[in-house]
Amino acid sequence: MSLLIATTLDDALAALAAGARPIAGGTDLVVGARHGKAPLPASLVAIDRIESLRTVGRSADGGLVIGAGVSHHTIETDSTIGAEWSALADASALVGSPATRHVGTLGGNVMNGSPAMDTGAPLVVFGAEAELASGSGSRRVDMATLWVGPGRTSAAADELCVAIHLPARAPRSGSAYLRLEYRRAMEIAVVGAAASVTLTADGAVDSVRVALTAVAATIVEVTGLTGGSVADVAAAAEAAAADQATPISDLRASDRYRRHCIGVMARRAVEAAARRASGETIAIPVNRAVGIGMAAGAAS
Amino acid sequence: MTVTEPHPARPAPRFVRADGPDKVTGSGRYTADLSLTGVLAAKFRYADVSHARITRLDVSAARAMPGVMSVLTAADVPDVRFGPFVQDRTLFATDVVRFEGEIIAAVAATTAEIAQRAADAIVVEFEPLPVVTDLEASLATDAPLVHGDWADYGSAEVVVRDRNDASFSSITKGDAAAAMAGADVVVSSRYVADGCHAAPIEPRAVLAQWEGDKVTIWTSTQVPFDARAGVCETLKLPANRVRIIVPHLGGGFGGKCGFHYEAHIAALARAAKRPVRLVFSRREEFLAPDRRREGMIIDITTGMRTDGTIIARSGWIAIDNGAYTADAGFFSQLAAMHVAGPYRVPNVSIEAHLVYTNHQPSGSVRAPTAPQACWALESHTDELAKAVGLEPVAFRKLNAVDTGAEGPSGQTYDEIGLQQCIDAATANAGYGQELPDDEAIGVAIGWWPSFSVPSGAYVKIDGDGSGQIITGAQECGTGAVMTLRQLAADELGMAAEDFQLVYQDTSVAPYDMGATGSQTLFNNGRAVVNAAGQIAEQLRKLAADHLEASPDDIVLADGHASVAGTPTATVSIAELAGIASGGELLIGHGSGQPPGPPPLVGSTCVGDLGMAAFVAPQFSCHAVRVKLDRDTGVARVLAVSTAHDSGTIINELGALGQVEGGVLMGIGQALTEGTTYDDQGKQRNAAMLEYKLQTCADAPPINTHFVQIATPDAGPRGAKGLAEAPNVATAAAISNALAAIIGRPVRRLPMTAERVWETLNEEAAR
Repeated sequence: MSLLIATTLDDALAALAAGARPIAGGTDLVVGARHGKAPLPASLVAIDRIESLRTVGRSADGGLVIGAGVSHHTIETDSTIGAEWSALADASALVGSPATRHVGTLGGNVMNGSPAMDTGAPLVVFGAEAELASGSGSRRVDMATLWVGPGRTSAAADELCVAIHLPARAPRSGSAYLRLEYRRAMEIAVVGAAASVTLTADGAVDSVRVALTAVAATIVEVTGLTGGSVADVAAAAEAAAADQATPISDLRASDRYRRHCIGVMARRAVEAAARRASGETIAIPVNRAVGIGMAAGAAS
Repeated sequence: MTVTEPHPARPAPRFVRADGPDKVTGSGRYTADLSLTGVLAAKFRYADVSHARITRLDVSAARAMPGVMSVLTAADVPDVRFGPFVQDRTLFATDVVRFEGEIIAAVAATTAEIAQRAADAIVVEFEPLPVVTDLEASLATDAPLVHGDWADYGSAEVVVRDRNDASFSSITKGDAAAAMAGADVVVSSRYVADGCHAAPIEPRAVLAQWEGDKVTIWTSTQVPFDARAGVCETLKLPANRVRIIVPHLGGGFGGKCGFHYEAHIAALARAAKRPVRLVFSRREEFLAPDRRREGMIIDITTGMRTDGTIIARSGWIAIDNGAYTADAGFFSQLAAMHVAGPYRVPNVSIEAHLVYTNHQPSGSVRAPTAPQACWALESHTDELAKAVGLEPVAFRKLNAVDTGAEGPSGQTYDEIGLQQCIDAATANAGYGQELPDDEAIGVAIGWWPSFSVPSGAYVKIDGDGSGQIITGAQECGTGAVMTLRQLAADELGMAAEDFQLVYQDTSVAPYDMGATGSQTLFNNGRAVVNAAGQIAEQLRKLAADHLEASPDDIVLADGHASVAGTPTATVSIAELAGIASGGELLIGHGSGQPPGPPPLVGSTCVGDLGMAAFVAPQFSCHAVRVKLDRDTGVARVLAVSTAHDSGTIINELGALGQVEGGVLMGIGQALTEGTTYDDQGKQRNAAMLEYKLQTCADAPPINTHFVQIATPDAGPRGAKGLAEAPNVATAAAISNALAAIIGRPVRRLPMTAERVWETLNEEAAR
């Protein structure tokens, strides 16, 4: 086995072109190898020391560019992400444990392609694009194009995800990501939902996007949602999510229970997103602030 | 009977355990940390099928692999069938395998990777046999037998067996059928609990080395003397040629009780003529040991008068024994006691069956059978209260045992603190306050015996005045061994820090049963106090000579021996130790007579393994505030209030840790921890990702009150056990909180979010 520790993007891309596989935090690759999911690749290139992959910055149009090597810990504590792309911070804050969040990266989560990834649904509702680089240049693909199946992406073997591009947020917008979880750390999404909501001046929903975690072969976006009162849109999201989900039965839940709960998560995500859009601050992660996460005696 | 008053002079001290700094800083060594020159790695070949006859076993390819130093099967070890209650187990599978984790062969090789490849290269062919997984079906007279030769097996004399029923037990008192027929209100319930795991953070490890005809085995066992006995029995060795040493133990929770792999590794090391080390993977830790917590089916019927007085109880219990009986022989009687419960029930008829299946064997996990049985009984008790229109705590106060009352098995209790526990736990929980409609406080009571068994220790004071306690007791994390320093120090007027502990070595210390049955402080405490008392005698004589006084007037305190009433007539214990080192050495040895079982009156127990009479019984009440997310069925424990009668508390800090750990384990068992099987009896969630332990982030605030009253026949200073009792009532209290919110109980354990959701749907459909 060979391991190249790359310090520049060019070195990393050259290694990929020569057949190496990238490793950043290793929280999927190494754990998977230990559990017999897939052996470690014979040739690895470590990308965790490439500084250019570890930055968060504004784009010219007011959007955000998050380097693929940015950790979940950085995302959950970044004040800009928390304020404007709250759902992504909600999601990163729920990943694994503090140790996982310090080494696990956004790029790794996205490119691992698990339908249970927490950051995926937020990226979809933000209309994010992944920037894929190779020795022959780079391209940007939207999330629906990137994920083609469980653990599979449309990226070529020599392409490296170098950044995630988030478009600028419209005024009066808010977002949230909720997931069903059986415990409060070291958990994998049973189901999850992200919502992004833009309100009209009088507080109704002008536009809404909802995406779902762990109910299909990839992260999927709910279709057919339109504006209206927050309550109506939340109810519509609940019904549509339950209707459009194609969950499986496994150790974590039955398909029937998943279908019910994805509706609940979608409704709550829309409600929380609308509250944030109206200017209310709900602490990151929103999972700890609504439903099961609430403190004793607090109203639901 | 002796009554020991609680130590009046001093509040329970709070001291940090002596092994804490080593464990926290990483300087402590665990079995897997140890190495020896030339050490080989061991791997097992497991059956991987639940029930089958071996038609071909060929290890020749494995033996021929470079780096493989020994490969053993049943043909290579003495033909011994063992087991503490039923002799149904062999070290290696002989002709039939009965669960997926059964060991067919063991390999020792120069690296773990080679050993694994060699284990994989062993050729095994099977003829499938019918897999038995359903407890009720297993008891049918035409059920396939898990052990076709069951009738030929040896067993302890009192064990009542029949086909797939490995241990039947019953409690009969009065005439339950007649009383039930005359009852005003009768309620019947069925509750079903899944099995679960002890899940210690340290997977098992064993290291063995022979020198001549003697073997030393370092192992992660909770019961070193039991492990030694198992090695001696299966490899036909005398006890004095087998030395078991336990380095620091990374948790056990009962799962590391019993004799496990010490003999396999010793046999490998003997064959390879090199030291051999086994270190389990997490997956092996889930699949192979004969110590997971048993699944149970529990039927309870209770008859009452309209005022809520219980007049009769009947019960039927099936316990999943798994493929081998291990130490579960007494589970049927213990389960029957916990379904009877700490209540005044004049007419009782309870039957319990320990049922063979092709699942992993069950064994002592912290308070075996009690959390499940208590969950069923206490959930049933809230149904009883509802049926007669009584508030659940008032119903318990009315029917629970108290000092002088007769319990369900005919034992009349001396001083006990159950009623005080109920009062304290509910008051501290704020029971009765107005709560939002998605919250409730559930209450449950529990009990647990103290185990009275032989135990030994030595104490010595060296010439410089420093002391050593050499004890057979095993520290599995409870802190019980750590309290021994305090007991010796108090006996000698010295400080706990003056003593070092030498423990967990069978060739150095006298016998102790090990970290099992919450018995360490109860019995080894007695031994240490006796041993230290002998030295106190010696010191008083030495001081009397030195100070020209009578030994009876010598007081040992603050590191000095002084004449009572004459504080200026004093000599340091260190000086006396120096004098003794030139003459008769300061050595004490202690054991003491364990208290006998209390009498039972008016009851008949079939399959009586001594669990129907509780020596120095411990009582508890847990009141748990739960919040339910009605939309998803996810429950969150907001706060736990406990009260425990475990007699006198020797170290409050350690005792609180025991309760908090037990509660958290109980929350896991209540809500998230349960083993699921496929239709072939194989575990589906044998990994930490899918077996959901509670995490620190899930831990609620836990408030604990100790009811400390004078306890007859207790351990040192009136102490009872405390390791298992905190694990008994938590799941039950959570169940009652959920039932109060939902309107009906969740009848499956664990009460997972999905099961709670299903129960909510049933209630909504009503």
